[in-house]
Amino acid sequence: MQSHGVEILLVEDNANDAELTLRALKQRNLANQVFVCHDGAEALDFFANGEGPVPKVVLLDLKLPKVDGLEVLRRLKQDSRTKTIPVVVLTSSREEPDIERAYALGANSYIVKPVDFEAFARAVSDVGLYWLLLNHPPQ
Amino acid sequence: MRSIQRTFPLFVTALLLAVAIVQLTIGYGAVRRASRSVADTRLRFVDSVLVDLFQSGPQRARITALAKDSAVVAFLRSGGQRGRAQALDALRRNTLDTASNVRLELRDFSGRLLLSTGRFALGDSVLVSPGTDSARFGPLQRRDTVLFFGVAAATGGTEQAAGNGTERSGGIVQQVARLQLNERTRRTLTGLSGGDMAFLFGNAAGDPWTDFGSIVSAPPANVRNSPTPTRYERGETKRAIAKAVPGTPWMVATELPSRLIIAPARAYLLNMAPFAALIVIIGTLAAWWGSRRLTAPLVGVTQAAEAIASGDLTHRVPKGRDDELGRLAHSFNAMAEQVSRSHQHLEAQVAQRTKALEGTNAELESFSYSVSHDLRAPLRAIHGFSRILLEDHNAKLDPEAQRLLGVIDQNTRRMGQLIDDLLAFSRLGRTDLSTGPVDMKELAKTVADEIQRTDNGRQGSLEIRIDALPPARGDRGLLRQVMTNLLQNAAKFTRDRPSAQIEVGSREDSGQTVYFVKDNGAGFDARYTDKLFGVFQRLHSTEQFDGTGVGLAIVKRIVQRHGGRVWAEGALNQGATFFFTLPGEER
Repeated sequence: MQSHGVEILLVEDNANDAELTLRALKQRNLANQVFVCHDGAEALDFFANGEGPVPKVVLLDLKLPKVDGLEVLRRLKQDSRTKTIPVVVLTSSREEPDIERAYALGANSYIVKPVDFEAFARAVSDVGLYWLLLNHPPQ
Repeated sequence: MRSIQRTFPLFVTALLLAVAIVQLTIGYGAVRRASRSVADTRLRFVDSVLVDLFQSGPQRARITALAKDSAVVAFLRSGGQRGRAQALDALRRNTLDTASNVRLELRDFSGRLLLSTGRFALGDSVLVSPGTDSARFGPLQRRDTVLFFGVAAATGGTEQAAGNGTERSGGIVQQVARLQLNERTRRTLTGLSGGDMAFLFGNAAGDPWTDFGSIVSAPPANVRNSPTPTRYERGETKRAIAKAVPGTPWMVATELPSRLIIAPARAYLLNMAPFAALIVIIGTLAAWWGSRRLTAPLVGVTQAAEAIASGDLTHRVPKGRDDELGRLAHSFNAMAEQVSRSHQHLEAQVAQRTKALEGTNAELESFSYSVSHDLRAPLRAIHGFSRILLEDHNAKLDPEAQRLLGVIDQNTRRMGQLIDDLLAFSRLGRTDLSTGPVDMKELAKTVADEIQRTDNGRQGSLEIRIDALPPARGDRGLLRQVMTNLLQNAAKFTRDRPSAQIEVGSREDSGQTVYFVKDNGAGFDARYTDKLFGVFQRLHSTEQFDGTGVGLAIVKRIVQRHGGRVWAEGALNQGATFFFTLPGEER
């Protein structure tokens, strides 16, 4: 697998949210190597052949068409080739069961998207900075 | 536990025992009375025989005759050697004929001894004042081991005028008789009366007395003075009857040991008691057997009823009898069948409704999930893009456009807050309470400190006073939410007061602790009290006081979930007081 090309895989069905996320990342110059999937199936396809680029972090929404976010998370963490990729759940849901299940399936972080744009932009860019620049994944 | 099976035989046993005891007591009394009556008859009869014996003793007749003997009379009248010899001869004739006669003497009226026979010396004494027409008996007397008595009669002397007075020429014939005391006499008498009985003889006035074998002490005065049977102790308890011998100073008494009199009654008891015991035992066994037989089917019904009461609806009473109890068992089984059917029906209904409720609940949950997720996304977009417009295209916007974008910004924030509060409120109905003891005073203090710390934008002072608060029982996290909401409210509505005062306290009201939070803030119109605790209900405009109108609804829901009550009192511009009750901490 190659690690160049894609650094952040954003799985988000809502085009507005995707745009806002990209904008927040762009402000920190983190948006150059972002790949967007619009549903769960697409996200799984991204890793399906095992030869695509390996992102440094996956930003995963939970409520997705076709295959939902928790299922995507489960598959990624089950597969030995993808289980070391950090997955940050980025969702509107602050329901306790969702949080518990996400962590039980191996999520690395769980972020509730704020309605407030400044707070949202801050959260997204902080997450991007942390996982891309500060975190050291296994080689 | 009381049981007919046990109490009925006990009752029968008690009844039989009572009957047996009464029967034995009455029988014993009757036998004893009869036996006493027989004994008394015997005693009286023997008494009268003895009295006759002593009354008609031969001495009296003989002495009376001797007093009229011509030789004695002649000697007293004329004296002389020849008369003396003839008189003494007459005395001797009488002395020799009986063993009890120990001495005969002739004395003059002054008591001087003129003639005597026999060796028993008395000296100059007269034992009894003589009778003139017939002899009299003197009292019984004792010398050492000898009992004797005198019998005396005046003899026919004449009174003559002699010189200056009258000379009485008569005298006294006195016999001294001795009672024969020996074991043989006693046994002979006893044998004559049929054994067991003792005979006593003595003076009516007291000692000496004899039982004809030896000298004994006199029976007590109450025996001697009573004509009826009397009990007294002489070696053992005796029943005695005394009887005076008429014409003499003597008395006879006969006595029987009490033990012999009550012996038949005892024998009756000894013979009858085993029978009574046998009857009681047989009766008890019969009652036990009968009650078992009678109550066994009842026990079956009782057990079945208990089993059904404790939840085993399949239990039935075994059948097999064709009487009232059999019918009872049958009816009981029918009833149990009915109960079982209704129960099953109810269970099915409950299950069905539970399922429906669960469905509704799941729907509600997915609804709130959707609200949580889907309502926020468009809101975020509105907010985000209006911000972007402000940031990236600021130069192209005139001031009015910028102001309008500011309004959009404000309202989306507020909408976000509303959604969050609504979700928090709906979550309250679903989470489980984790109850435990809660130190309300400590809780109030913590919250008050926090409020003081974050209380910004106030002109005047804020004082929060916390009185004594009894501990409560509840979910600490939720109760903290209650305290926080109430204190935040109080702080919010006192913001414009120059000197804001909040009091957290409690009072006892009919055995229940009522907690309250009181402020001197804006208060509310009492007419709208019932609207205070509704969701999104506000009594003030957002411009006056911010907030979504969910805080008090949350307070109400938490308190109600604890089984408590919440209410408010207040008036416009005169402050408000919020009360709530909680189940007390068990002491």
